[in-house]
Amino acid sequence: MGLTDLLSKYGSQYFQALLTTWRLTAVSFAGAFLIGILITVARVSPIRPLRIFGDIYVQIFRNIPGAALLILLVYALPYLQIVLPYDVCVTTATVLIPSAFCSEHLMSGMNTISPGQIEAARALGLTFLQMIRRIIIPQALRSSVLPMTNLLVATMLTTSLASQVPMRPRDLTGIVSYINTHDTGGVMAFVISAALYCLTALVIGKIGSLVDRKVRILR
Amino acid sequence: MRTGNIRDYLYEEPGPHTRKRIRIFTGIAILGLLALLGLIIRQFSETGQFNAKYWSFFTKWTTWRFLGEGLLTTLEAALTGSAISFTLGFLLMRGKLQGKIIRGISSFLIEFTRGVPTLLFIYFFFLVVPKTGWKPSAFWKITLPCAISACGVVAEALRSGVNAVPRGQREAALSLGMSERRTFYRVVFPQAFRFVIPSLIAELVIVLKDTTFAYVVSCADLMQNAKVLISNYDAMLSIYLVVAVIYILINYLLNTLSERIAGSQRRSVRTVTEINKGAAVHG
Repeated sequence: MGLTDLLSKYGSQYFQALLTTWRLTAVSFAGAFLIGILITVARVSPIRPLRIFGDIYVQIFRNIPGAALLILLVYALPYLQIVLPYDVCVTTATVLIPSAFCSEHLMSGMNTISPGQIEAARALGLTFLQMIRRIIIPQALRSSVLPMTNLLVATMLTTSLASQVPMRPRDLTGIVSYINTHDTGGVMAFVISAALYCLTALVIGKIGSLVDRKVRILR
Repeated sequence: MRTGNIRDYLYEEPGPHTRKRIRIFTGIAILGLLALLGLIIRQFSETGQFNAKYWSFFTKWTTWRFLGEGLLTTLEAALTGSAISFTLGFLLMRGKLQGKIIRGISSFLIEFTRGVPTLLFIYFFFLVVPKTGWKPSAFWKITLPCAISACGVVAEALRSGVNAVPRGQREAALSLGMSERRTFYRVVFPQAFRFVIPSLIAELVIVLKDTTFAYVVSCADLMQNAKVLISNYDAMLSIYLVVAVIYILINYLLNTLSERIAGSQRRSVRTVTEINKGAAVHG
């Protein structure tokens, strides 16, 4: 099927799919960022059990394959009498996995701050919270713009997990497998989705490097 | 300068008052985490998931052999995929250093493979490729898309490795009369390769994770064999949990290895810089 045929027949569905992928990406990234910050706070807190919990959390969700996590959520959780709707399962998976990477990026962002700065802050009589708010967080955020941009793209790629469950509306990957199993979409059906993914990634990347150039700390 | 993790120097030595507070919060945290664990265990036991019939077959040797066979296929696919993506990534990286047209094509391919999810490539090999007349086996239907999807990232990693080699190295080699080609393969790339070993291992982890989609093309990897076990023993939760743990452990080990190598490289680079500094001072 040619490009025009595909677009006239499935154009609106592609548009729906693009919006679904964008929505999933935005929601997942926001959730992942929030949980990532909370886990990072736990990991740097002076309370040992919380540190250990944070470390284990990160190792689990950093290392579990997305498909394995999604299958656990969709097929295995009902055996514990926890039945979640498909879209909740997908969002849970696409929040938990990036949240672990988010925490890792924040930790390495914090690690770029030299101990001298913390000693200086203390010598100036800043309280702990002042130090966190004025010294640590601004620098950690500024040096993690690029990793966070990459994380946003990675989150978008992770949302293709949605195609593995019968979720409606379909996402950009789901629509392609639908068209190719019910119709002869051929290569073109893939090219459209791939182009939409790539353009989104390109725009995210451009914005990310613009912001990074503005806020980066040169050392 | 003190080194180590920020967690270790974020706080002052706590006084008696703070120590007491930390102890109290530690207690609360332990109780909270135990409550969470208790909740999970209660859910398991109330739904009968601790029942012996869900776990007893794990004592059988055949169960592990079957899972092991699947794991071997998984590892084989991951290693083959990584090798292919390394080759493709190397070509793309070299392409980026060529003339205008080849550079443009290479940049496009790098951006393309980095911006498209692996699953889309897998569906391409699953749904479109067989219609062209070329019918790859299930193994290649999962390995090739995983490799293609990773090659752009590999190319970028290799490029940053090449950029990290000090310029003087290249200049020295050229001024010794070595050709561009010889300089790249004998001087620049061997050093660049050492720098990028950690990110190549990290890439192996990504390929390994992507191969879990092998069930889409029904390749008998760890996940697929787990499905067979599930239909044999009618034990979904226990098997999927064990398989998830296997994946997590392997990836954890690989990531730890990558961090170890990166750490020891940072140390040796620092030593070299310090030696150079020392030489500059004394000389």
